[in-house]
Amino acid sequence: MIDFLMFIQERLADIGIDFRMKIVIEYFPFFMQGMLKTIGMSLAGVLIGCILGLFIALGKMSPLFILRLPFVWYINFFRGTPLLVQLFLIHFAVMPLIMSPVNPIASVIVTLSLNSAAYVAEIFRAGIQSIDKGQAEAAHSLGMNKLQVMWYIILPQAFKRMIPPLGNEFIVLLKDSSLGAIIAAPELLYWGRAATGQYYRVWEPYLTVALIYFILTLSLTYLLNYLERRLATK
Amino acid sequence: MRKLPFLYVSLLLIGILALAGCGTSTDETESDTNGSSETEQGTDGQATEQADEEKKVLQVGTDAAFAPFEFMETGEIVGFDVDLLAAVMEEAGYDYELKNLGWDPMLESVRSGSVDLGISGITINDDRKETYDFSVPYFQSTHMIVFNEGVGITNANDLEGKRIGVQTGTTGADAAEKIVGQNNKNISKYETTALAFMALQNGDVEAVVTDNVVAAEYKKNNPDAKVETVTDEDNFESEFYGIMFPKDSEIVDEISSALATVIENGTYTEIYQEWFGEEPNLDALTNATE
Repeated sequence: MIDFLMFIQERLADIGIDFRMKIVIEYFPFFMQGMLKTIGMSLAGVLIGCILGLFIALGKMSPLFILRLPFVWYINFFRGTPLLVQLFLIHFAVMPLIMSPVNPIASVIVTLSLNSAAYVAEIFRAGIQSIDKGQAEAAHSLGMNKLQVMWYIILPQAFKRMIPPLGNEFIVLLKDSSLGAIIAAPELLYWGRAATGQYYRVWEPYLTVALIYFILTLSLTYLLNYLERRLATK
Repeated sequence: MRKLPFLYVSLLLIGILALAGCGTSTDETESDTNGSSETEQGTDGQATEQADEEKKVLQVGTDAAFAPFEFMETGEIVGFDVDLLAAVMEEAGYDYELKNLGWDPMLESVRSGSVDLGISGITINDDRKETYDFSVPYFQSTHMIVFNEGVGITNANDLEGKRIGVQTGTTGADAAEKIVGQNNKNISKYETTALAFMALQNGDVEAVVTDNVVAAEYKKNNPDAKVETVTDEDNFESEFYGIMFPKDSEIVDEISSALATVIENGTYTEIYQEWFGEEPNLDALTNATE
């Protein structure tokens, strides 16, 4: 592996590009640790975001205006303000109420969850409302209650339609977790910045970090494609 | 349903046409801008070539976000480094243009040689010397540990086992890492010193290690913060700021000796007193040069 990297370095040097693999090799263990944290934070964010998002979507579809109101404004707030500002607010103002000292990774997970919940809620709502009314009516006439209709009839069909936009959201969320670097959450980009800080060189750390993000999102893309094909009805 | 293929095909056609339209228009603008930038570069090149015979205009990069060394004041870059740079350039007989590039772009611009030098409170260290050349040191940074009242830190060795906040890529980060070990898990490297201080206020970190002048600036702006400070010149290794050049730059010696002259002839001391209100430790600088 190291030999291979040095080989690339020499070929790059041949065409006049100065690229120090030494930095990549030195920071590789840190990039791997950071990658695991990135994956963990994103997974937690996606899971919590989906659960919250489902409830917010249902709340926003409530027939009562008063009941709808908080959900509408939740979505307005989290879609309408920059994620970085949300991260600062949560890390420096909200989380200190719950834990001390604040773990920056926890702050990132909370921020990603709350933020993605707003987007996921709209995806869920679109999915649920795309299912023909007749389906629900037929299920009701078979004696199912509202919960059963939602769980057994609407959601399974809606979920299939929601996979492409959800996949989009997951990929965005994975990359957005890099904002954690700013509050010193030791994720992937944090170690890229640390390497830049040590060597004052930008290409080696950032290109490596970008490549790792790319591999992660690419894997996610193909996983979602596979899921879509598996669930497709003929 | 029978209409769908027609609709689909027409939409596709519209899409292709739109794309083609965009394509040609961007092509045109691209070639336009290319053309003009080339001609600009051409004239620039001639201008610098002509100037070479008289006086070359040096391009200087900085990241004006590190008060009091360089920062923006009503749209202008000011600070200790800026005044020092003016004095050095006058001594060396160069015209120069100072540009606020931001930190990472400044590093890459100096590395690739698209600016001639960088001055931005840059710390000299061996890892960086592999990529850059440095002038003689022009500032000895004294590290200060800032901690919340009652944590009880008396010297740098007390940092061991404490959660430490630093700004990534600064002397403070280097100094703290030399005490507790590189990339130790207790060190949190924040994007800016302001964020590190905020983490200190919230108790996320127990101590912040930074330059004493930066710490003084923080205390001045946050008089209510219940913090104590301690400096420790015995346990912290000295860190020095230098002007940074591309590797094997031809002007290193010239600028460096001009800087040495400015330090010796008293101009440096004047600028230092103006910004920091105290006498510089010139012996430390000369010792570090040797």
